[in-house]
Amino acid sequence: MKAKFINPFINASQRLFQEYMKLDVHAGKPFLLADPRNLKGVSAIIGLAGETTGAVVLTFSRETAIEMVSRLEGKKYVALGAEILDGVGEMINIIAGNAKKDLQDYKIVISLPGIITGNDYKINWPQGVPVISIPYESELGPFAINVSIKES
Amino acid sequence: MISMKILIIDDSGVMRRIHKNTLIENKIPEEALIEAADGKEALQLASKNEINLFLVDWNMPNLDGLSFVERIRNTERYKTTPIIMVTSEAAKYNVIQAITAGVTDYVVKPIQGTVLWDKISNYIKSE
Repeated sequence: MKAKFINPFINASQRLFQEYMKLDVHAGKPFLLADPRNLKGVSAIIGLAGETTGAVVLTFSRETAIEMVSRLEGKKYVALGAEILDGVGEMINIIAGNAKKDLQDYKIVISLPGIITGNDYKINWPQGVPVISIPYESELGPFAINVSIKES
Repeated sequence: MISMKILIIDDSGVMRRIHKNTLIENKIPEEALIEAADGKEALQLASKNEINLFLVDWNMPNLDGLSFVERIRNTERYKTTPIIMVTSEAAKYNVIQAITAGVTDYVVKPIQGTVLWDKISNYIKSE
């Protein structure tokens, strides 16, 4: 997958987590997700349509999701409730929407976010498009942004 | 004294609370703030209340922000009422679409409360 499709999501994530949420986050080296179907914890997914096809998934552990939404809203949450799922959905919405700024050669329509939680679940990624995972370390725990995108 | 009604339209409760807190911190009374979770609910609330300022998200279920703006601009009552679109949609073509539909101002999330308030304060009437 071309770097031009990955970098916009890295830039958008830095903007959200570092600049807006004032978090100490570090992106690791992106890698090809060997088994992109099995995820666990809390995942927020957004589909990409229009002149590209694909999906972007933000995955946290349950604990990190709670801490992240607490930081986003400035309110302490202690359990994985509706507010946490809502907040994680808003984060992927911001990342996908902001990434479009650096992908302006393509008219892209983003879907509403969907949220999945559990210990072992599968995501229906677009067929035939590799999934690139960008791992992050942060003061609130590790997380990942998984991107699968191609020209339509 | 600020006498106005502001309708905050966003499908994310977290986002609505963040916007509400920004407004309350800037001395907007809580009773001036009305919330809607999508464009459809917002149209109903706008018909029952006299809204002076809309803060509207783009991507929402039932009726999205862009369609809401197009519909509300087609009413006599809200032809010129300020509408600030507060959205994650950062592409230039989205901004053009929103302005064509009739938004007064456009800001991209995430946005710090101080920056959002700078925008909003341009449309706040004091008496």
